[in-house]
Amino acid sequence: MSAESNERWAIAHIHASFNNTIITITDETGAETLAKSSGGSVVKQNRDEASPYAAMQMAEVVAENILAQGIEGVHVRVRGPGGNLQKNAGPGAQAAIRALARAGLEIGRIEDVTPIPHDGTRPPKNSGF
Amino acid sequence: MQHVTIPQDRIGVLVGQGGETMREIESKAEVRLDIDSETGSVAVESVGDPVQGLKGPDIVKAIGRGFRPEDALRLLEDDLMMFEIVDIDAVARNKNDLRRKKGRLIGEDGRTRELMEELTGASVVIYGTTLGIIGRPDEVEAVRRGAEMILDGAPHGSVYSFLERRRTEMKQNELSYHEFPG
Repeated sequence: MSAESNERWAIAHIHASFNNTIITITDETGAETLAKSSGGSVVKQNRDEASPYAAMQMAEVVAENILAQGIEGVHVRVRGPGGNLQKNAGPGAQAAIRALARAGLEIGRIEDVTPIPHDGTRPPKNSGF
Repeated sequence: MQHVTIPQDRIGVLVGQGGETMREIESKAEVRLDIDSETGSVAVESVGDPVQGLKGPDIVKAIGRGFRPEDALRLLEDDLMMFEIVDIDAVARNKNDLRRKKGRLIGEDGRTRELMEELTGASVVIYGTTLGIIGRPDEVEAVRRGAEMILDGAPHGSVYSFLERRRTEMKQNELSYHEFPG
């Protein structure tokens, strides 16, 4: 957490799956959304929604928005699909974090909040690759 | 802090002569590597800039998947460089099939693998039961699609022409990319 109390920080929730990337910026309680964006708002083709390019553009838009709201830095919570699906974040996650940093936001802690089952339902059958 | 497990025979490569490679990764990626040479488990801890440290686990994983340290460090060249693994074991029916599929991916005297590298610009390594790719997103995608075609049983010729086609597409995209700087 920042030393000076007049610095305003926020949390960037990045949900990166293999089909889409969703960025939501909230205040530090997580209750108040400050800005949000998802793949569909920057690309035309559905298959490009999860691409790193799309994530970069989304992060730039979002960063501009929250910088205007007086936020100086963000803590990052990355999450993949999780549950009984894959536990790794999709290709958009790293690109989004980098773009946030490049847009002039300070990056605090990066945390992985992928939901991990404590043994839940049966995973889908493996479709290869 | 993240843990990555790599095979025994890659630990030597990760550490390098007198710890040279390990220190290079540590300084370039701003991470600290804690290597357990008994079990092959590597703890990657980010020190300094957390954004730079994001690539640390990927670099270690890439070396564990048979990449040379120089190629693995290419991940740091550019923000968009990515590392992907295609699991050959998941599609192989048995040991013999795995051998055959690996052979098809590598090609005669490594020709197929070499062509995949040359036509796309990515680095490709086949090691154990995986095929690893390091490159830009479109390059990685092209190699991945090509590898999946081969694993599906497509003839080599059609994969080469697919990669050739993707190469011209990528070149054209590059040209249009520079028209609008920024």
